[in-house]
Amino acid sequence: MSSALEKPQIIAHIQKSLNYTVFDSRWIPCSAKFVCMGNFARGSGVLQIYEIQHGELQLVREIEKAKPIKCGTFGATSLQQRHLATGDFDGSLNVWNLEVPESPVYSVKAHKEIINSIDGVGGLGIGDGAPEIVTGSRDGTVKVWDSRQKDTPVVNMEPMEGETKRDCWTVAFGHAFNEQDRCVCAGYDNGDIKLFDLRNMSLRWETNIKNGVCSVEFDRKDINMNKLVATSLEGKFHVFDMRTQHPTKGFASVSEKAHKSTIWQVRHLPQNRDIFMTAGGAGNLHLWKYEYPAQRTKKGADDVDMGVAGSVNLLQNVTLSTQPISSLDWSPDKQGLCVCSSFDQSVRVLIVTKLNTV
Amino acid sequence: MTDRHPSIAPPLSNHRHVVATSVYVSLRRESEMPLIVKDHTWTQNQNTVYISVPLKGVKPASVHVICTDEYLKVSFPPFLFEVFLFGSINEERSEARIGNGVAVFTLQKRRDESWEQLFTNIDKDKQKQIREQAVLKVQQKEAEKSKAKAARIQQEKKYALETMMKLENKERDRIQKMKDEECARATAELDFWRETQRKTAEEKENQQKTRGTGPQDNQPVNQKTVTLMRNTGDTTSGQRSRKQTAKDLPAPRSAGCIQISFTPRVFPTALRESHVPEEEEWLKKQAEARRAVDTDLAELDDLREDERNPDWLKEKGDKLFMSGNYQAAVNAYNLAIKLNRKIPALFSNRAACHLKLRNLHKAIEDSSQALELLKPAVAANASARLKAHVRRGTAFCELELYVEGLQDYQAALEIDPHNAALRADSDKICEIIQGTT
Repeated sequence: MSSALEKPQIIAHIQKSLNYTVFDSRWIPCSAKFVCMGNFARGSGVLQIYEIQHGELQLVREIEKAKPIKCGTFGATSLQQRHLATGDFDGSLNVWNLEVPESPVYSVKAHKEIINSIDGVGGLGIGDGAPEIVTGSRDGTVKVWDSRQKDTPVVNMEPMEGETKRDCWTVAFGHAFNEQDRCVCAGYDNGDIKLFDLRNMSLRWETNIKNGVCSVEFDRKDINMNKLVATSLEGKFHVFDMRTQHPTKGFASVSEKAHKSTIWQVRHLPQNRDIFMTAGGAGNLHLWKYEYPAQRTKKGADDVDMGVAGSVNLLQNVTLSTQPISSLDWSPDKQGLCVCSSFDQSVRVLIVTKLNTV
Repeated sequence: MTDRHPSIAPPLSNHRHVVATSVYVSLRRESEMPLIVKDHTWTQNQNTVYISVPLKGVKPASVHVICTDEYLKVSFPPFLFEVFLFGSINEERSEARIGNGVAVFTLQKRRDESWEQLFTNIDKDKQKQIREQAVLKVQQKEAEKSKAKAARIQQEKKYALETMMKLENKERDRIQKMKDEECARATAELDFWRETQRKTAEEKENQQKTRGTGPQDNQPVNQKTVTLMRNTGDTTSGQRSRKQTAKDLPAPRSAGCIQISFTPRVFPTALRESHVPEEEEWLKKQAEARRAVDTDLAELDDLREDERNPDWLKEKGDKLFMSGNYQAAVNAYNLAIKLNRKIPALFSNRAACHLKLRNLHKAIEDSSQALELLKPAVAANASARLKAHVRRGTAFCELELYVEGLQDYQAALEIDPHNAALRADSDKICEIIQGTT
């Protein structure tokens, strides 16, 4: 019954060309501003804060730093402070107060090589427990930081002695539904996905999806872990049902091939945890909805519960550019508003309509 | 200008040109002495004169009328009818109807009187004058008419253009208005949402302040009404306040370290780095080699079932090699190779036997053959290649072909750089080479 008019539409509301390569863009919570992070051609890092006014982007502030900035998150900060945690090409983790950006609130040389991915949990009034930041780097390690502890990470996930290192490309927090529980999921370039349980300080689950993992995200950080989406090279992404873990088979999953190229990013809609958007290497965006199966668990051969994966439907797709869209962020305040940045040195603000009737 | 030739001197405009040509035509006709029409009829009443002129078969289109207040001329070649009117008429109010083989002129008299006759008798000069005047007048009238027409056309065009422009502008304005409305609506929504966000943020701040322990930021907010509402002794809000203060307190996690290892694979490279095509090729070759059995030999008939199996023969050969019976091992390998020429291990092992038997040339041949079969060079056949290179190298050295031997040892070292024995051997060979040169 749903005609083309009833599908959600992805509308490019504003587009702005920048004069630097932009790697990440994040909404500042509770505002109509967002931060773009990247590096100038002269090799220095830049943070730009834009505000949406009258249908256009106004540059509010530009901050230049010594090293190019790869990724950032507001996830571990309180709503009043709204400090931005960034990882840069040098392996340093810095937490900035954007009002006073001259010196960071917290700074540590986290890794020996570039920090590829960063995530925060415990802030913004979401969830319980201490605010923590996790960083994943090309040196193969994943470290969890607490801004009250200087210089040493709170948890360090590193390769064993003698093991060849694989780059860690993405990290995500999840399962943080009370003060003690927390999980970190990390994706590596050889296709490994590892789930670490920080309460037990152990590896809870691992699997390999054959192609390098570009992006992982739980559908919600602050609930008992429900779904995990992992995207990879060569256009595939997997949705794992995380409610039921089988001792040997792990989690049930459904995979989908889309985009015909690397899927760079996946982001769940903050207002609806079954809707997510994937950003592809051909400059296109796909909007998906996950449908749960009739029964989420079933009895396996040895009478142990196994999860059952549901199905994924494509709601809409749109091609915005010819270069990969490297980052995507939904606004936590307005449903359907999102900002994306791509390697054609431009940032776009998009509006996705009809998400409340999907 | 003579009698018969009406003036054609005035400059010709487009419209007058028509007049001029017809005048010219009639001019030509007149020089041929047009036929004067005399069988016209006329009637009159108090204020109008009716003249009816038969057209005598001439088409109405070629009838040309010149009429002034005192003179009427109708020329329809080859006929001509002209009359100098008795009284003056009002040329503008008169009309001519040409059709049905007759031309009827309805002339309005200027003065309401009854004419005794149609013609006046005037002398030739006067006639000529009147004729010229008439022609001039007609020409003038034509000119005026054409000018008026041009002016009118110009005006109409202008008007049309103006209306078009007005319509387009209207359309454009309408579209612009729609766009602006949309824009305004979207921005209004955004502003509204921003406002609500700000308000909720402020409320949250107030909430924080009323229960938090000494906030650091200095935003002045009107807290009084908010605190009154919140401090109603609600147990849940009490709990929340405790949690707020407790929120910052979960101590930093006690440091932990989790050691991880990465997935081993058949070929320990990730998909994107793997030499998958070569590896596939190697696997296929191995599979083929297993299947290729040369059954075309007559000697096979008297072999036992076991002895037809290259694997069994290889095992036999290996055991014989271990026990030191090198010749027998060679025989076993020979048979196996006869059955299946594609298994590199057979050649390699036979090379080892020949080496022990000091059949150095055969050893070199066999290890070369083995290396041939061990292409493409992948991780899986590394150890096999290593052995083959070492055997061939040894054979070369025994034959005192040290340079070739060194080459093989170098290749072996490339495969396995950590092998100390190999390194020692290749160093020795280097020395020997340098010693002899």
